[in-house]
Amino acid sequence: MAAGRLTARSDADLIQASKRGDLTAFEEIYAAHSGRMKSIAFHLLADRADAEDAVQEAFLKIYKAAGAIQFDSGLAPWIYRILLNCCYDTGRKRKRQNESPLATEPPAIPNNVPLQLAIRHALDRIHPQYRMVFWLFEVEGFRHSEVAAILEIPEGTSKKWLFEAKRELKRLLTESRA
Amino acid sequence: MTFDCKDLERALAVPELLPDAREHAKVCDACRRELWLWSEMSSVAPGLREEWETPDLWPKIHQTLAAQQKAAKQHRFPKRFDWRMMAGIAALLAVAVSAFVVMYSRYGPTPAAQQDSDFLTEQTLKEVERTEAAYRASIDKLSRLAQPKLNASENPVAISAREKLLLLDSEIANVRATVNHNRFNAQLQTDLAMLYRDKQDTLKEILESAQ
Repeated sequence: MAAGRLTARSDADLIQASKRGDLTAFEEIYAAHSGRMKSIAFHLLADRADAEDAVQEAFLKIYKAAGAIQFDSGLAPWIYRILLNCCYDTGRKRKRQNESPLATEPPAIPNNVPLQLAIRHALDRIHPQYRMVFWLFEVEGFRHSEVAAILEIPEGTSKKWLFEAKRELKRLLTESRA
Repeated sequence: MTFDCKDLERALAVPELLPDAREHAKVCDACRRELWLWSEMSSVAPGLREEWETPDLWPKIHQTLAAQQKAAKQHRFPKRFDWRMMAGIAALLAVAVSAFVVMYSRYGPTPAAQQDSDFLTEQTLKEVERTEAAYRASIDKLSRLAQPKLNASENPVAISAREKLLLLDSEIANVRATVNHNRFNAQLQTDLAMLYRDKQDTLKEILESAQ
């Protein structure tokens, strides 16, 4: 995420410039975070068009609220918190329209499939909080301190939930492969 | 320590026990499989990341933001007041003020005129105070409308909006207290009006974002 930032402006500079209406600075924020944001949104919404809508909505809110950001825990956790809220809003809207793939019962884990696919299936069957921590830490590569800031939980809880997620996944994968 | 299969779960939670677990796994197929699965999950997880090109996404965001910026600018400065017109108005005002100063110094007010002038100032001030009271009542009404939506939401935007409103209310209370001791200070009245305006904009944003 921070790669190639040696000559680039810092997050604080970018958000200050965005506050003054500098859309080029805001585009730098978009370039740095949109890839991860789309992946997270897709993980939550299971639909690319919905994920793109959620990311777009998130960036509009980020720009609007740029003046109110507190830099205590950095820009990234704040951005991803807004994204998660946008995804939950989209998910709720879709649930009301009765077209949510998330609302359906997850399929059983097929055996004899590559481990990556089996994990994808198993993830649908574990607790959403454990799943979210697993996704942010293991898939998206956030540190526990960042996961904790994004989800507004203590760092110890992030570690505990990751352990629980992996334990559950191990159990499901072992069962399916037995 | 004698490591047993039942110790494996604990070893996964306590990294210090992992060397013992690995040693045990050399002679235990079941534990070896579980240990492999545990580390393999982390290895393959990054491959679950979904990536795809979205060349239209930034242009859409940019377009929306640019349109919002344009609308905000028009809201602040109506189109008919371009900078040339503003400069013209400023020049006219400067001439008028200079003329007034010259006239005032030549033909200063008589005591009776001074009384009239005091009466007019008091009247104008009362007008300002009446307008402010009406404006305050409208904003209070808007605040009552926005409050349930604001309290119901826990998203970061709503939290920061709540904090901003608290700050604004406190600042408004401070300025009003000062105004009460210095009613004729036009700068304080202007500051107060700007704070109300800021509060109104914040409440409007909350109501718009809730829709």
